[in-house]
Order: sequence, then structure tokens, then C-alpha cells
Amino acid sequence: MSSNYRQARYKEDLLIERADSREVEDNPLPKSISRDEAPKIPDLPKHEIVRYFNRLSQMNYGIDTGFYPLGSCTMKYNPKFTEKIGSHPKATEIHPYQPEEMVQGTLEIMYELQELLAELGGMQSVSLQPAAGAQGEITGLMIAHQYHKDNDDERNEVILPDTAHGTNPASVSMMGYDLVEIPSEDGCVDIDALEEAAGEDTAVFMITNPNTLGLFEKDACQISEIIHQNGGLLYYDGANLNAIMGKTDPGAMNFDIMHFNLHKTFSTPHGGGGPGSGPVGVTEELSSYLPIPIVEKDSEGYHLNYDLENSIGRVKGIYGNWLVLLKAYAYIKEKGKDGLEEATERAVLNSNYLRKKLEPHLDLPYRELRKHEFVLSGKKMKDKGLKTTDLAKRLLDYGFHAPTIYFPQLVDEALMIEPTETETKETLDRFAEAVASIMDEDEEVIGDAPHNTSVGRVDETKAVRDSVLSYKMREE
Amino acid sequence: MGEVDENLFTLLYLPKTGVQMSAEKEMLDFLGLDEKDELFQDIPDLIRTDLDIPKGVSEMEAMVEVKDKLEKNRDLNELTSFLGGGIYNHYVPAAVGEIIGKSEFYTSYTPYQAEISQGLLQALFEYQSLIAELTGLGAVNTSMYDYPTALAEAVLMAARISRKGNTFLLPENIHWEKDPVLENYLRGKDIEIEKVQFEESGKIDKEDLKSKLNEDVLGFYVETPNVFGVLEDDVEVFNDLKEDHDCVLVAGTDPMLLSLMRPPADWGADIVVGESQALGIPPSYGGPTVGIFASDEKYIRKMPGRIIGETEDSEGRRAYCMTLQTREQHIRRERATSNICTNQSLMALASAVYTYTKGGRGLEDLAKENYRKAHDLAERIDKIEGFEAPYFDSEFNKEFTVKTPEDSQKIFERCAKKDILPGIPLDKKRKFSSLPNMMLTAVTEMNTDEDIDSLVETLEEVVG
Repeated sequence: MSSNYRQARYKEDLLIERADSREVEDNPLPKSISRDEAPKIPDLPKHEIVRYFNRLSQMNYGIDTGFYPLGSCTMKYNPKFTEKIGSHPKATEIHPYQPEEMVQGTLEIMYELQELLAELGGMQSVSLQPAAGAQGEITGLMIAHQYHKDNDDERNEVILPDTAHGTNPASVSMMGYDLVEIPSEDGCVDIDALEEAAGEDTAVFMITNPNTLGLFEKDACQISEIIHQNGGLLYYDGANLNAIMGKTDPGAMNFDIMHFNLHKTFSTPHGGGGPGSGPVGVTEELSSYLPIPIVEKDSEGYHLNYDLENSIGRVKGIYGNWLVLLKAYAYIKEKGKDGLEEATERAVLNSNYLRKKLEPHLDLPYRELRKHEFVLSGKKMKDKGLKTTDLAKRLLDYGFHAPTIYFPQLVDEALMIEPTETETKETLDRFAEAVASIMDEDEEVIGDAPHNTSVGRVDETKAVRDSVLSYKMREE
Repeated sequence: MGEVDENLFTLLYLPKTGVQMSAEKEMLDFLGLDEKDELFQDIPDLIRTDLDIPKGVSEMEAMVEVKDKLEKNRDLNELTSFLGGGIYNHYVPAAVGEIIGKSEFYTSYTPYQAEISQGLLQALFEYQSLIAELTGLGAVNTSMYDYPTALAEAVLMAARISRKGNTFLLPENIHWEKDPVLENYLRGKDIEIEKVQFEESGKIDKEDLKSKLNEDVLGFYVETPNVFGVLEDDVEVFNDLKEDHDCVLVAGTDPMLLSLMRPPADWGADIVVGESQALGIPPSYGGPTVGIFASDEKYIRKMPGRIIGETEDSEGRRAYCMTLQTREQHIRRERATSNICTNQSLMALASAVYTYTKGGRGLEDLAKENYRKAHDLAERIDKIEGFEAPYFDSEFNKEFTVKTPEDSQKIFERCAKKDILPGIPLDKKRKFSSLPNMMLTAVTEMNTDEDIDSLVETLEEVVG
């Protein structure tokens, strides 16, 4: 197989470099707060600006360009019809402080989405406010914090397995909890270690299931028993929900709080890093703790309820990333029960198929059935004097986005691969062929990769050393 | 070609994922499995569930169904709206939607692989550069979720910078959604919030601020324009207070107005936060928007969020990448400066494209136009019997307070019946119960002279 991908390679200076210094004239503001010198922003013809950003887009790789097996990110096809709905004026041209009777369509969609997500998660109630998965996590911890406080129960620890996503420990310390990390055994939670760690200080246990190795935590029931017996709450990180829809759900596994990543499981675009959406679901016991407002329905229609007895208050301005909610809603309506089940089945089939295809070429720790993703070790690269990074960079030359690398940290030289359900067998075969072909290549070709992208290997060390974070800093 | 056998399609393609079904048997064979459900044998029977949601529909049906629901909304094109309160109805040039609608941008994710993501990286570097120009602070991240969460992150960062005290001073006159967000973000932290009162002018009470700036204060926040639309006009004093008390100054501001107003870095701001929705993002029922976050260059290692840096590739060509990643959750885990991962990048791109489309002069002209329109409207409302506008006798920009002759909620409702939304009533839900009969009115270039006439006429009609 040949590395015949070619990305556009333009030399584009920054637009901001084209600005001149000038004075602000006829400034209506009082002298004490008036700018004398205008900010350096150029005045350019629209056509130039459109061309510039168009060329930049050609130096970028998205799911619509090719295979994007970035583990834990669920880079599935983003339907175009949901994009079209998301730009409808009845969705974009509405103001958050319009009276409720003028936005009944929006409130109805939000209400129905709350209900659909509750069913998908096996939860009682859902808040759509959090803007992303990590914000969902911290919202969940706020709920747990308030719940324990209301029960006069001082608990200061959150337990995590060592396979947890980086956002989990970061959310824990952001909320001021002490982190207790427990080791895994054969890639799953070590029940003995959990029993030892759990106690009267345990506020929450957070986990994603299947975990980040793509393994289903088979002791899910035992885990929840241990935590609940100790008076703690269970938090489900919904990043990997794409692996279980229609097969099981966090409610069935006795979780108390969870978040959904609408930009993963429900196929809203990742937007180059956002916006996403991270709704939070809770059990009946915790329903009154959700952020306000939530959408309710009565005989007169839909309205925003600000009056939840134990609500933690707000985690974000307004009501959440509405346009993302809308796209996810349209996706769920179109897919429905059959489509979501099919998505899960095909995602897991694709993952296991590709895993087996790649096993002859790279090491697979923890040899078991995987769910929607799997983790390989790139330690064979070390025999060539190379690293996983080099393999990842060389994959770019073949026209594939690289998998997530160096995570989870318990796998040496990790490559985390999530194909998703929207890829064909042919694409998976081509990816496996590319890996096989790279393993036979000369060290130099791999070590100097990528060759076919708009720039060569980027010097990240220099970026840190020089820390040029804006044109202003370059000029200084 | 003969007649198309429709069954062929249902046989070959999975109805929903749209990928070939014929391949499935081959894939299962390869795995030594008979059916797909065997892939789930590791999930115990005890916790197996069945989904209780309706069956899927075609794209056409889904499109129609969702559009029908949206049709129940009344959008801003059908109304005459003077609503603001942080979300403003500015015109968005078509080029903005066109560019953020390029699927190379919107179907990509966080640019972990810099070499294949130069386009997005450079575009986000442009955003950072524009915000740096406007705020005067060189270090900018690629976005926070919104203004309230940006403020919460700024307070947490101020506590990381400051080596003394655990009190942060927060003005009373900030948006009603900011306090509860901040309170939640500070739950587990040893940081106390103390409120600073506002003057009769609607500006921060500087005497109160001074009296509360004691040894225990790690930093304070100043907002201009504030929730009342009021501008602080004696800003040097904030720098003096900051230096006298050796603490951190966080400033909140409006990026569009910064084309006319002195950048907060000029008067000592260490961190600047704000909302970039006005720059190229439709009101969208309040989300997604963009939280602006800029910092003094000396504190870059304490910043939250994704940051793009300029560097070189292996051949010495200029290139961009995510930088200072050891601050972030995916590397530093519990020692990260924030838990933020997915942010609002595409909206930051929208703001950058918008700002370039307007150009420096265009942005300045727009700010002037909004300023003028708001002042004209305030003057006209002020002439209506029983009304007072602006209620706070201070400098303002495109938004101002209106004192109404009776309950502002009732006036709002009467106007709304005539399809006019005169402003946001500041009722007890919106925290300012100490200011009865108050409304917050915003004007943009989208409000025509006719809109303004009809607002004035309607206000005259609905009272008395």
C-alpha cells in the first residue's frame, strides 16, 4: 500500500499581519476611557477573507476528509440534515429571554430530549445545561457534594480507576475532592482494591463502562454494591455510551449520576474542539438537585422551571448549547430504537474486526472481547528506535487521522482506536493495510513523517519554549 | 441498465448506519462469531436492557417533524426586539456561516495531530491574536464555554496566581447568571466571595471596594460595561488599588466596544473575560456562544483551556500547534489548571471570521452606530411620561436601564402582545429586587428607525 495522500500546502501569512496603525476618530466615549490608537485589525475585501479561510480549511482534516479513529472521541459521520436543521432561523434567531410562549417549539424539543436521554441512560431526570462532557462531570460532582451536605455527611474522597479519562481526575480536584486512584487488574477494576479504598470518606466513584481499554467492566454490579454499601454515589462518564445503547444502560448498572456526550454518541459535530454538550442524568432520589432551569410540561404547554427544591443552581449561563441539543434530538429521532441499536452493534463489530486485523502487527494487551474501542501497544516501534508518535505521524501520510496516543497511560506506547459504526469494512481493511505497510518501512521514512501534510513534523518543544500565543506576542 | 431491484439496497446496506451489510457476515466469520449479539456476551444478563423509544424514521420524515416543532417558535424576524442581557441580535454576514460550515473545520476535533490540522490551528491563532489586540493582553485561550464560566475560571486562576488571602471581591452589579455559576465552581475551594456594592450611578462603589480590600483579598473583579450597561469611566483607580494591595485584577468587558474603549490591560487587568457572541454568532437561544479568556503573558502557565502557539516545522516553515499542554487534563490529570476539554472552538472561529469580515474600521463604525442608536432611544424613552432612561446617570454603550412607571414585567407583557419586546424586566428572578420597575433595553444595528418609533409609541400606549 502506498502513502499517496496529499494535503494542500499553502503558505498563508496571518491576516492580522496586514493591519496598519491608525487613530480612532470621533470617539463618542469620554476621554478617560477612549482608545486613541485603534486595535490592529485589517480592513480587507470579503473575497480575500473567504479565500484565506477556504485555503486554511484545505489544510485541515475532518471526518468528511477520511477515517478518524481517535479513541474515546467517537468520530462518527455527522449527518448533513441535522446541520441544516441547526441553521434554521427558527432555531438560530431566537433570544433566550423571549417569553416562554414564543419559544414553545424549542421548549418542546428540549423537553423531549430530556425524556429520550433519561430513557437511554436509565435515569429519572436530565438537565441539558452542561456545555461539554467535562462540565457534565463537574456538575455531577456538584450534585453529589450538595446531596452529601444535605445529609450532613462529610465525605472528601472520590475514587477513580487508573484507566479514567483525564477529565475525571481534573474534575475531582477542581471540586476540591481528594483523589483516590485504584489500580486495574487485567484491565478492569480490581475489586479488592476498590473494597479497600471505599469507606465513610467516599463521596463518589467515577467510571466509564466500557472502560478506556474498551473492556466491559464485568463486575459492574459488585462495584455498585460496594460503593452504595459505603454510602457513596456512582458516577457514569458517558464518553463510551456508544458501546452499549440498547444492550444495557447506566441505570441498570445502578449508577446514580451520569453525563452524555451529545457530540460523541449522538453525532453532533466536534467543531474542531467544540461546541459539544454534556447533559447530566440522575436517579429519582437526586432529581431535585439538578441545575435550574429544567423544562417541564403542563396543560398549558412547556415552561422553564426554576423551582427545584435542592437544586445546585447554575453551572453555565442560559440553558445549555441549544443548537447542539437540537441536532442531537434530530439524530435520535431519525435513528430511533432500531438505528441506535444498530449503531452500537456495528460500532462494536467494527472495533473487534479492526482489532483482530491489527493484532498481527502490533501488541494487544488484555486479550479479550472489546466494545467500541481497543488499545494497542506500539512498543514494537521501539525495536526500530522509534515511538508510537512516529507511527501516528506516518499514518497521516496514508490519509488517515491518527488514533489517540499515549492514553490510557497504563499501556506502554498506547494507541487507542475507535472506528465507530459509520465506517465500512473496506476502510478498516485499508487502515490495517497501512499499519502493516508502515511496520515494514525504513526507520527513517517513519521517523521523519509526516511527509504529505501541509507542514512537516511540528516542533512542539519550541512552541513551549518561545510561547508565542498571539501576533501581539510575536511582535513584542 | 435494467430495472433496479429495490431489495438490493435493503440487502446491501444497513438501513441506519448506511454501511454495507453484506460485509457483516464476512466480518463475523473473521471473528469466529455467528451473530452480532455475541459481541455483547460480556454484559451480564442481569443488567441487559431494552430501549423503549420509538423506531427510527427516514431523513425526510425527521426533517419535517423537527421543522414542524421549530415552526412553533416565533423568531426575531417576526418581532421587534430590544432584548440583550448578554446575548445581542447583531447581523451576521453570510460569509461567517459559509466558512464555519466547511466540513474540514466542523467535522474535525481538537487538533492533537498538528501537521494535519494546520488550517484550524492557524484560524484559532487568528482568533487569539484578535482578542489580544482588543483586550491588550497577549495570552488568549481558544475559548471557555461562555462568559459566566470564563469568570469562574478567572477567579480560580486568580487564586493560583495570588500567594495570599482567600477572599475574592465581586461586584453586586453583575449578571444574575454569573453569581450562581461562580458559587458552584468555588464549592470545594477555600475561596470566599465578598460582594461590593454599587453606587447610585450604577457604577461600582469604589469606597466600598477600597474598604474591603484588606490583607485577605486575593483579587477583585470589575466589569465595564456591567449588567446595567453602565461603563466605568475612572478606570485608573482599579490599577492603583490593585498595585496598592498587590492582588489580581480580573476585568469583564464587551469585545465589540473594545474597538472604541481603552483595553483593560491599559488599566492593570491581569485577566480579561467576556462574551464573544456579539461577534458573529446568532442569539441561538443563548447557546453555543464563546467565553473569552485572556491573560497577562507572565501567567500563561496558570491559564485554563486550550492554547495555540506559533512554532516551526522540521523544515523551518512557520507552523502552529497546541501548546503548554502540561497545564491540561489529558496530560496533567488531577494537577491540571482546569478540567476543560471540549470548548467552543468553532464559535471562536466564527468570531474571528466575523471580525475580519467587518474589518477594524467596520467594527469601530458598528460600535459607534450602536452607541448612537442606544443614546437616541434612551433620550426618547426618557421623554415619555413616567419613564426614566437611562435610570443610572452614567456613560453607557448599546444597553441601558429604563425605569418604568409600573411593574416592568406587566409592561413587558403588554408590549409582547403587540410583538414588541422592549427589554428584559429585572424582576426578583433576575436578582435585582432592590430595583423595582426596572428594564434592561439593548439596541443593535438590526433595530431600524421604524422599530425605535414603534417601541416609543407602544410604551406610550401601554401605560396609563
